[in-house]
Amino acid sequence: MTPRWRDFARSWWRTFAVQGSWNYDTWIGAGIAYCLVPLLRRIYAGDPVALRASLRRNLEPFNAHPYLAGLAVGAIARAEMEEVDPERLARFRTALTGPLGSLGDRAVWATWRPVCLLAAIAAYLIGLPAVWSVMLFLAVYNVGHVALRVWAFRTGWSAGLGVGPALRVEWLERGPVRLVPLVLLLIGLDVALLGRRVFELAGTGLPTALAPVAVVAAIAAFRWPRRMGRVAIGLILAIPVAWWLIGVFG
Amino acid sequence: MPLTEIPLDAVRWLVLVGLGGLLGLDAVSWPQVMVSRPLVSGTVGGWVLGDPAAGFLVGALLELLSLRFPPFGATRYPDAGPAGLIAGAAYAGAGNGGPGALVVALIAGWAVGWIGSASVHWRRKLNARIVTPTETLASDPRTLERRHRWALRLDALRGAALTAGFLFPAVAIATLSADAGAGGPRAVIGAAALVTALASAAGAGGRTASFGLRGWPLILVGAAIGVLLAWGIA
Repeated sequence: MTPRWRDFARSWWRTFAVQGSWNYDTWIGAGIAYCLVPLLRRIYAGDPVALRASLRRNLEPFNAHPYLAGLAVGAIARAEMEEVDPERLARFRTALTGPLGSLGDRAVWATWRPVCLLAAIAAYLIGLPAVWSVMLFLAVYNVGHVALRVWAFRTGWSAGLGVGPALRVEWLERGPVRLVPLVLLLIGLDVALLGRRVFELAGTGLPTALAPVAVVAAIAAFRWPRRMGRVAIGLILAIPVAWWLIGVFG
Repeated sequence: MPLTEIPLDAVRWLVLVGLGGLLGLDAVSWPQVMVSRPLVSGTVGGWVLGDPAAGFLVGALLELLSLRFPPFGATRYPDAGPAGLIAGAAYAGAGNGGPGALVVALIAGWAVGWIGSASVHWRRKLNARIVTPTETLASDPRTLERRHRWALRLDALRGAALTAGFLFPAVAIATLSADAGAGGPRAVIGAAALVTALASAAGAGGRTASFGLRGWPLILVGAAIGVLLAWGIA
C-alpha cells in the first residue's frame, strides 16, 4: 500500500532523531529502521510477517550524515514498496554509506556550520547584541539544515535506488569548496576582533610584539594543526600558573 | 566577589541542569539544530545568570578552540552543549569579572567538553546493548521505537548529569578567581597568551576546514580586515 502524506511527515520528523541510538556496532542502523517504521507500517499493512522481515533487513549496520539520512530512508522505503530484491537492497545500503557520510561532513560540518558560527561571532564583535547574534546564527543555519533534510527525503523517495545521479548536484559537490575562502577569512577576522576584546577586558594596551607572534602561531598551526592545537590549550592552561608565579616572585 | 553573592540559587541551578539535558541531547541525538554549540549554550548559560553577552564571549572563544574537532564519523570531539552552558554561566556568575574568571570559565568549558566526550563514548557502548539483539527489535516495531526512545532519554540524562556535577564548582571557582590576573604584567601576559592560543587554534581549525587548500594567507587577510575594523570601532 502506498504511504500517505501523514506517514511521510512522521518518517521525516523522525529523521531528526536518526542518531538517537548511535552505537559502534550498527552505527545508525537502528535509527534508520526507527525512521522507516511509519512508512513500513503502511507499505506492509496487514502483513506482519513481511513487516518483521523488512525491519530485520533495515536494522543492519548503516551510517550517513544525519542531515542526509532522510535520503536513505526515502530510497529504502521506495525500494520496499516496489518489492526490490533484498540482496540488491542490502548492496544499495552498503554503497550509500560512504557518499552520504562524506558529502554531509564536507557540506555541513566543515563549511556551512563554521560559516554561520563565525559570521555570528563577527556580527556580535562589530556591534550586534549577543542574543540577536545567536538568533541570527540559529535562523540562518537552520534554514539550510531543514532545507537539506527536506531535499534529501524527497529526493530519496522520488529517485528510489537511482539516487546516485541525484547526489551529483553542483551545490552539494562544489558548494562546500566555494565556502572555504569565506571560512578562512572569517577565522582571521574573528581572531583579530576577539583579540581586541580580550585586551579590553584585561584593561591593558595591545603589545606591539604580539601581532607577529600571533601571525606566526596561526601559520604554524595551519602547517601542524595537531601539535599547535595542543600548544593552544597548553597556553591557556599555563596562564593561571604564570599568574601564580608572578605573585610568588614578582 | 564573595561566594555568598553568586547568583546561582536552587531554581537557576535546576533550570540550567534541565537545559544541560536538552543541550546534551541536541549535539548528536535530537534535533541537531545546533543549540548545543558553545556560542548558543554559552549565551544561554550567561542569560540565566543575568549576562548573555558574557556567556556569548566565552562561547565564541570555545568555538574557535573547537574548530579543529568537527564531528566527522565516529571521531571524538568535545561535547559542547553542557560545556558551553557551564562556561557561560561561570563567567556571567562571576559578574563579568576580570580575566581570571574568563580563563577559569574557558578551562572549565574545555575540561567539561572532554569529560562529556568520554561520556558520549560510554553512551554509544551502552546503546549497542539497548538496540540489540536484532531479532527482538524486528519482532515488533513498538519494541524498536521504545528502545530508540530509551537511548534518547539516556542522552538527555547524560547532559543533565554533566551539568549537575560541574556547574556549581565552575561558577564558584570562576567567582573566586574573578580578580586574578587583573592589572600590571599579569594582565598583559594573560591576554597575550590567550590571543596567541586563539591564533593557534584558529590556524589549526582553518586547516581542518580548508580541504587541503593552501589557505593560510586568507586567514591573514581576514585578520588584517579585523584589525582595521577594530581600529574603526575603537
